[in-house]
Amino acid sequence: MPHFDQTLDVKGAKCPMPLVKSRKAIAELPVGQVLQVISTDRGSVADFQGWAKTAKNVELIAQETVQENGQELYVHYLRRTA
Amino acid sequence: MTLTQNQSTATEISPRELYARLLSAQPFFILDVRNEEEFKRMPIEGHATLRTLNLPYFDFIEDEEAALARMPKDVTEVVVVCAKGGASQYVAEVLNNHGYRAVSLSEGMIGWGNYYDVRDVVSKEWGRIVQIARPARGDLSFAIISGEQAVLIDPLRHINVYRELIDHAGAKLTLILDTHVHADHISGGPALAKETGAPYYIHPYDAIHPIDMLPAVIAYEPLRDGQVFQIGQVRITTIWYPGHTLGQVNFLAETPDGGRYLFTGDGIFLRSFGRPDLGGKGEAWTPILYRSMFEWLPRHLTDDTVILPAHFSSLEEDAGNGIFAAPFAQVRAQNDSLRPRSLEEFTTFVLSHLPVFPPEYVEIKRVNIGLVEPCEGKASELELGKNICALAG
Repeated sequence: MPHFDQTLDVKGAKCPMPLVKSRKAIAELPVGQVLQVISTDRGSVADFQGWAKTAKNVELIAQETVQENGQELYVHYLRRTA
Repeated sequence: MTLTQNQSTATEISPRELYARLLSAQPFFILDVRNEEEFKRMPIEGHATLRTLNLPYFDFIEDEEAALARMPKDVTEVVVVCAKGGASQYVAEVLNNHGYRAVSLSEGMIGWGNYYDVRDVVSKEWGRIVQIARPARGDLSFAIISGEQAVLIDPLRHINVYRELIDHAGAKLTLILDTHVHADHISGGPALAKETGAPYYIHPYDAIHPIDMLPAVIAYEPLRDGQVFQIGQVRITTIWYPGHTLGQVNFLAETPDGGRYLFTGDGIFLRSFGRPDLGGKGEAWTPILYRSMFEWLPRHLTDDTVILPAHFSSLEEDAGNGIFAAPFAQVRAQNDSLRPRSLEEFTTFVLSHLPVFPPEYVEIKRVNIGLVEPCEGKASELELGKNICALAG
């Protein structure tokens, strides 16, 4: 698991909310820090990759899938770059 | 431009309304807000008058003004689509707040992919032939209802559609026929047989997986060439047509008023024909397909025999009113791939027009003869995207 500074729990939130909330959280994060986002939305994996490619100040450092109580969690690590 | 606090809720368009618009061939504009990969894998297709643009929803979240600037300048009415209907709702609201008239496709591509369209091909005193289409995939299946009996040909996975149709007609399902074991979608035949007790027929050559060389473990009755079934006043004859699969058959339905309806499965399509390589043996099966197409089938074809295939590749094949069927004389005139060729020319033509071989097609055939039992999520994943059973144009 990569190092992170803050965490955002969006379990249960459906598309587009994981990304809407992450965008807000990144805007409030100091430059250089890393946000961990925990989602249950499988579509978020590809969408966070697409978003990070075009976003101005977001770098996607890592993504992982973990099991928690029988459900899959999709965890994203995003750094604010500017 | 500033957003008002009072965001309007974007109105929705149902898959049924979307399909009506696609069929009408009226120009309209679809904004697909999924990521690029998903969009490319399965876009919504229509007539040449349909314009589609892919602008992912996260571009609207990242920089709304920049995303809006990429919208075509001449567009005001927009149908927004995404995977499940959430992101499209979000983007439609953004658009409505900026002077567009945008609607969101309810349930997104999942709803569209699972949408079934049911309409009569013919309705006469002797009974009806009904086309049951899954437009997103280009899949076609049929019911013949006559004298309180019903037969299904190539039923698709969501079997309630068929049960409701037959119940509503006050008929009983007495026969289930598959023209072949499908590679592109999961058949509803075995499940319908289990639920209703109606016999499920496939040709025994298709009951062996062509790549695994393993036998079917589902319950089925073996079809043979020339076998005749009677459904009410309709007589159905089985015509063996190997090539797309070794056990591919056509069913010829003859009605009391002299009508001839040929259910070709993945034999001949309206603008193409079924590819001979999905069993992994394209070169060996091409001459067999040639014999079926040019020597065996023509004996059963008259100019007014109505051709009803199991797929369409494009909505341009709509013969009017959403029916994908046409008399053979018309098919012959429109379908260049049926033009007489020598075996050599035919082989060259086939081998140079083969589209990609989707890897999931091997697995779908396993499912269809019971070698694998997928859960609902896996089943719908296997069926993503449009069929690729025809030769490329």
